[in-house]
Order: sequence, then structure tokens, then C-alpha cells
Amino acid sequence: MRPCGVFDKSYALDLAIIRTWQHWVILISALILLFFFPLFGSYYIISFMNYLAISVIVGLGLQIVSGYCGQISFGQAAFMAIGAYTSAILTIKFGFSFWIALPLSGIMAGAVGIIGGAPSLRIKGMYLAMATIAIHFVVIWLILHMEITGSFKGLFPPPPSLGGFEFDTDERMFYIIMTVMVIMTYAARNLVRSKAGRAFVAIRDNDLAGEVMGVNLYYYKLLAFFISCFYAGIAGSLWGHLITVVNTEQFTLFHALEYIGMLIIGGMGSIPGVFFGVLFIRILNELVMFASPVLAKAVPWLGTSPAAALGLSAFGLALIIFLIFEPRGLAHRWEIFKASYRLYPFAH
Amino acid sequence: MTGFLQQAITGLMIGSLYALVAASIVLVYKATHVVSLAHGQLVAFGALFFWLFLGGLGLPFWMGLIPAFFLTALIGLLIERLTLRPLIGQPLIAAFLMTFAIFIALEGVFVLYLKGQTRALPTFLPEGNLDISGLSIPINQLISFFVAILLFAAVSLIFKYTKLGLGMRATAEDHRLAQSTGITVRNIFSYIWILSAVVAAIAGIATANVMDIYYMLPYIGINGLIVAICGGLDSLLGALVVGLLLGVVENVGAAYLDPIVGGGVKDVVGYVVLLLVLLIKPYGLFGLVRIERI
Repeated sequence: MRPCGVFDKSYALDLAIIRTWQHWVILISALILLFFFPLFGSYYIISFMNYLAISVIVGLGLQIVSGYCGQISFGQAAFMAIGAYTSAILTIKFGFSFWIALPLSGIMAGAVGIIGGAPSLRIKGMYLAMATIAIHFVVIWLILHMEITGSFKGLFPPPPSLGGFEFDTDERMFYIIMTVMVIMTYAARNLVRSKAGRAFVAIRDNDLAGEVMGVNLYYYKLLAFFISCFYAGIAGSLWGHLITVVNTEQFTLFHALEYIGMLIIGGMGSIPGVFFGVLFIRILNELVMFASPVLAKAVPWLGTSPAAALGLSAFGLALIIFLIFEPRGLAHRWEIFKASYRLYPFAH
Repeated sequence: MTGFLQQAITGLMIGSLYALVAASIVLVYKATHVVSLAHGQLVAFGALFFWLFLGGLGLPFWMGLIPAFFLTALIGLLIERLTLRPLIGQPLIAAFLMTFAIFIALEGVFVLYLKGQTRALPTFLPEGNLDISGLSIPINQLISFFVAILLFAAVSLIFKYTKLGLGMRATAEDHRLAQSTGITVRNIFSYIWILSAVVAAIAGIATANVMDIYYMLPYIGINGLIVAICGGLDSLLGALVVGLLLGVVENVGAAYLDPIVGGGVKDVVGYVVLLLVLLIKPYGLFGLVRIERI
């Protein structure tokens, strides 16, 4: 919905994502604030934001394949693992620089994603979700049983460097991660309103009807999987070089479930929804982390370290509540809020 | 050859557990078309309740069994009432995601209760091995195997011959049509969740009979789901056959392939089988093929 008095006087305006000068001011100041953030943020907040940004990249990928294309995928953690391992192997074993390994790991994950998405040509919905769970376990199993991936020990990728400058702290990695996140968000926001994005939505709403309308199901389903896994691979590579250790413990089925949960809470089929979902889940988890020692003291039955278990339950409960009361997610609430303040003195 | 047979029989015993878990999932699907990931938790909680009464309170076998069934059925009923009923009329994938949310929430409770420890059931079935021409079969596993087969027969008979079963089959076909013939669809939903929770509890107790109760126990629900899907989600026979087969394939595959690839085949066989079945026969080996309309 347009703010009052804003009209699209030209085709360019009609196409624009950002329509008013106020939006430009907010966007540019937010970006400037983001990139000067390490100057005044504490170490804890910065590493937390790195974590958030990487989750956002994975979530954007999942949003494209699940939220827009309607193919529920529980394999996102495995594809993230492929990206992380590819990047680690390329930098350690073959001496590639991080800057080449980053896109290559995305492409590698995307290529495996096409194989992983192949079942979507025959099955859909819940069957496909189960197939992606199977793919997750097969991928993780293969990683554990190969020589090159260091098996259970994992790999230790070096931090990236550019012309002698080492990105070896969280503050320094912050710039790389945030730049990638901004680019990826921009790309996703544009992708979903392109021809491909419309084809994805057609497949989500009714694939048979879409096919009748001339959407090439095979091509677009596989494209959705490729893009989604490309995002996951990029995020995995960043993750590996950020914490400089990669092992399969970081990419369990639970992580994949978490990303789907973020989409449900944030809102399926909405790019801002990814941000809402990631923020909600991660902050909920941090709150539980802070609250659990207090709770453990108050209720001795909980034992000494209930944080992990309480986190699980809180996450599950949040999902249940959202599925019952707001299945369209926080993004929908955000839309309602935007509409109401733009119309402010009037009801509609 | 004896080695192969021994592995196959051990696999059959494990397979009967998978078949039971799958049966509880198939039951819910048959009446409500909801595919449930939450049944792994029902299995785990069934085992845990049984342990509470038997190991914790030291009650005799029957005194432990009945309340364990009762409590698990209560959880099943609560899941249906509180979380799945509000979703009636929404896309089925929402119900699937809901069961996965329930799985996570209950997993938290389960982990919280266990606190990283394991619980072993006290022996309540006769011990020892049955030796048949060089093959040895643990008697307690044999008993749970036959219990599983009997249970399958009982559930199939309920579905086929009782009025309740007829109502369930009608509900699965079309909610509105069933309602107009005088079936209370809501009650059918409650009954089916109670029935399937009891089957899940039996599966849990049978599982806890062969392994300790620990934090990974609920994940047998994923194996159950694999079996249910491979067998065809609406086929009890499929659940039984594929469950037994999967147990055998897992065990025999592990015995013969482990030395070649270096261990861990057991963890992945089920998933590979699932992928193959989904690619070749998307509706499962015994499932009803549905034709979709636009």
C-alpha cells in the first residue's frame, strides 16, 4: 500500500522497491549505522549479529525454495555444511584464497542442491519434506565417512585475508558478513519479483495449474533448489571462516528444523519475514539462556543446566502458538502495522 | 549362511519395532490425513511412563502397563485437542509442521527429564535365548515380535469389522460426507489419536525392552515415518512388511557393508531406501495412488 499522496507517475517509479525519499533516508542511515556498528558495539553484540546475519542468509535461501516455491526443505543445514566444507577444503588443501572459495562453495552447494532437489520432480509436500530429511542424513553421513573432510575431527579453515589484512576477529569479519548479507538480501528481494519469482509463486500455489499456464516445472523447481542451496553454501562458507572450525556437530537436523521454524514465525513468502523470524528465534534463545540459570535455582527439579532443553521447548511452543494464532507470521503483522500508520487518522 | 540368517532374524526383531511405530503413524493418517512427526515423542513418553511405574515405583507389570497406556493416550488426546483441532480446514502441510513443532517442544521436556542420563527398564519378560539349529533368538525380543504381529492383526480387524473402524474409514475418505451420515468426525479424531498413542506406547515399551531410554529415543519416530512412507501412508500391511524389511536390510547391510566403508551403514540405510522408494513409487509400495485435480 502506498503512503497517502504518493503516486507512480512513471514506469520507473512503478518498478521501484524504494519509492519515497524518506525510505531512502531510512535505508541509507540504517546501512551507515550498520557499518559503523563495530565502533561502539560490544564484542558479545557483534558476534551475535554475525550469527544473525549468517542465519538470515540461510533463511533467505530457504524462503526462496519453501516460502516462494512451496517446496518444504529440511535439508538446509546439510547444504550449509557442504558450503562450509567446500570452502574449508579449497582454502586448506588447495590453497585457494577465501574470495574465490566463497562463491565456489555457493556453487558447489547449489550443484548438490540440484541433485537433492531432484525428488521434487516427482513428489511434493510432506513427502518431499521427508526426502530432504533423508538427504540431510545421507550428506552428513558422507561427510563423516570421507577422508578429505577430516571425518569426526572436522577442518580448521583459516580466517580470510585481503592484501595482508587479516579478518581474524569478529569485528573484522563483521564487515564481510554484513556486506554479503546486504547483497544477498537485495538479490533475493529482486529475484522474487522477477520472472523466476513469479514462476515460483505459481508452483507454490498450484503446480499443476502453473504447468498448464506454461511454467516449466522441472526447470523452475530445480532453479529454486539451486538458488536456495547457493545461499546456504555461501552462509556455510562464511560460518566456517568466522569460527575457523567446521565439524558436523554444527549442522544437525535440529538446525535445519530451526530454519523452517524461523520461516513459520517470520512468515512464509516474505523477505522481511526472514529477518523477523531470525531475530525472534535467536533472541528467544538468548533470553532462555539468560533465564535458565535463574530458573534452575528457583526450581531445583530442572537440574543444573536446563538451557538447551528449555530452549527446545520454548522454540516448539513458540511454533505451536504461531501456527495456531498467526500462521502468516510476524511479516503479516508488520504489513498490518504499516498499513495502519500510513492511513493513520482513518481506519481504512 | 547361518551368519546371514542370524543377522536377518536380529533385523526382523528390530524391524517389528519400526513396524509398530509406523503403525501408529499410519493409524493417524488413515483417519485424519495428518502425517505425524510427533509420534516419536509418544513412543519415548510411553517408554518413560512405563519405566516410571516399573523401575521408579516398583509396581508389577500390569500395574505399570495400564497407567502408562493411559498417560500416553492422554498426551495423544491433548495433542489432538489443543494443537491439531484448530488447524482443521487449513492446508495439510500446516498440520505436518505442527506435529514437528510438537516434536521439538516435547523433546525439550524429554531431555529435561532425563538430564543426560539413561534409564534402563527392569527385566519384565523371560530372559534367555531360543536356539534353533545354530540360530539364537532372545526370548524377550521374540515375545515383543509376536506382540507386534498380534497388534497389527487386532488393529486391522478393528478397522475392517467394527463400526468405529467403518467410521474411521469414512472420515478418512471425506469429512463432510462422513458427518452427513451421522458420524461425529471430532470424536473419530479423538479416538484415533488415543488408539495410535496406545500403539505408540506399546512400541515404546518394546523398544525400551531392547535398548536403554536415552535422549535419542524419540528419533525412532523418524524411522517409523520412513517405514510408513515407504509402505504407503494408508496401508497397515505396508507398514508391517516394510518395517520388517527395513530391519532386515539395515542389519544385513550393516553386517556386509560396514567392513567395506568403515562403519555406520546402519544410520544411513533407511534414508537411502526412502529416497529410492520415493523416486520409484512416490506413494509407497502398498499405498493408494491418488489422482490430483486442479
